[in-house]
Amino acid sequence: MWDDADTAIGGNRDRFPSTQVSLIEAAAGEPLALERVVALYWKPVYKFIRFKFRKDNEAAKDLTQSFFASALERDFFQRFDPSKAGFRTYLRLAVERFAANRHEAENRQKRGGGVEFANLDEQASGTESPEDIYFQEWRRQLFALAIEDLRAACLEAGKHTEWAVFEAYDLAEGDRPDYAELARRHGVAQTSVTNYLSWARRRLRAMVTARLRGVTSGEGEFRDEMRRLWS
Amino acid sequence: MELSDSVLLHLRDVVDRPDLDGTRYTLEEEIGRGGLGVVYAALDTRLDRRVALKVMDAEWAGEARLIARLEHPGIVPVHDSGALPDGRVYYAMKLVAGTRADHYIAGDPPLAERLRVVHRVGEALAYAHSCGVLHRDLKPQNVMVGAFGEVYVMDWGVEGVAGTPAFRAPETQLDQRSDIYALGACLRFALPPGAPPALIAIAGKAMSREPAFRYPAVTEVLREIERFQDGVAVEAYAESPWQRIRRFAKRNEVLLWLLAAYAGVKFILFFARRL
Repeated sequence: MWDDADTAIGGNRDRFPSTQVSLIEAAAGEPLALERVVALYWKPVYKFIRFKFRKDNEAAKDLTQSFFASALERDFFQRFDPSKAGFRTYLRLAVERFAANRHEAENRQKRGGGVEFANLDEQASGTESPEDIYFQEWRRQLFALAIEDLRAACLEAGKHTEWAVFEAYDLAEGDRPDYAELARRHGVAQTSVTNYLSWARRRLRAMVTARLRGVTSGEGEFRDEMRRLWS
Repeated sequence: MELSDSVLLHLRDVVDRPDLDGTRYTLEEEIGRGGLGVVYAALDTRLDRRVALKVMDAEWAGEARLIARLEHPGIVPVHDSGALPDGRVYYAMKLVAGTRADHYIAGDPPLAERLRVVHRVGEALAYAHSCGVLHRDLKPQNVMVGAFGEVYVMDWGVEGVAGTPAFRAPETQLDQRSDIYALGACLRFALPPGAPPALIAIAGKAMSREPAFRYPAVTEVLREIERFQDGVAVEAYAESPWQRIRRFAKRNEVLLWLLAAYAGVKFILFFARRL
């Protein structure tokens, strides 16, 4: 239902359970930890490259894919030093260096042909910097992955109504149905709608937290990211 | 999955908002975000009074117990603590009506008032240290100045708090001298342009990179500030003879005027008798 053709290369997120795996494990080459990092960062990196270097969709996808392939080959995670910067910043700076090198090499090859600018029909406004877009996409993707975790957990536990109520209310675009309408639609009491939503929101918060712990290096960085995430 | 901006905004709001069902509090509005959590104004329905409710990002029941131990006029009293259904910990404390110290200082109060605020902060810090509690993130943004001049130090820290760069001591292993560094940084922040060099020196000594060169205790910083206020030489500043004379003259202004008047009268009388 939320397929995004532009970034489908990011992988099937349903594979990622909401267990806590850490950057430490990613650094040690643990595949699940690495996949979780890539699942979260693929799209923010892709958007960052598109806006920072004004690449079209395919070129940005290729560059993003090359970056992650190169990062995994070159001990990228092992070289991360949490005392210097948070992982999100570290990764963005690495992307910037990587993409800038490629971008320059491509421009040299064009030999006076000039740079081709892509049409950027994305939702970003003119005032947002590529760094802002990177952060916003990172936050968006973190929530998206946690919602997928929540959906998987609901289906696995047989909590179909809880998921349906949450999806109909909290994921609704535009006007939200009122609680009475939701109660009628799902054949439950109105208080149950309130309880289902409270439960789902609590679970979602826990899943966002678990995802975030998996991509931060320690308590300090985790707290900083939590603060940024909700502010 | 592609979440629109509006859905994301809604989710961030409803997912982060504390669920206070089953507690004695009803949520009003968010009033601040700190390093450890979010502070909301809430109504204590049992006592029918407004309180500040701090909801922690993580499961740190220890912080509320830690702060509840501190009873000092410069430390906001904790009324109650508990856990939300999602595991987050909250505690209720006095809702302070006032101005954050950085905003208060921006209002350009006189030097004596700036020093009073810093001194009150130091008193609260000295008391906490005597109880074995560190602040770990002391900065003007964590100090409130009330409508009647009361000064409260907020956001007492717990293990793992990184601190704020401009006010954070360079060492990684924090102890009381790290808080002294932050107090020095607060003093430096509070000083107006062209502040007396003795005060700048006090702040500088408290902010020495090497902890051993700082004041050994907060009370020593307070004594230095008091020495300056009393017109006595401060230990942190080696003044020139001329500065010493000026300070002496200023400190003993009344006495010097009386002596001058006495000498003047004697002088006049001396010549009057010879006429």
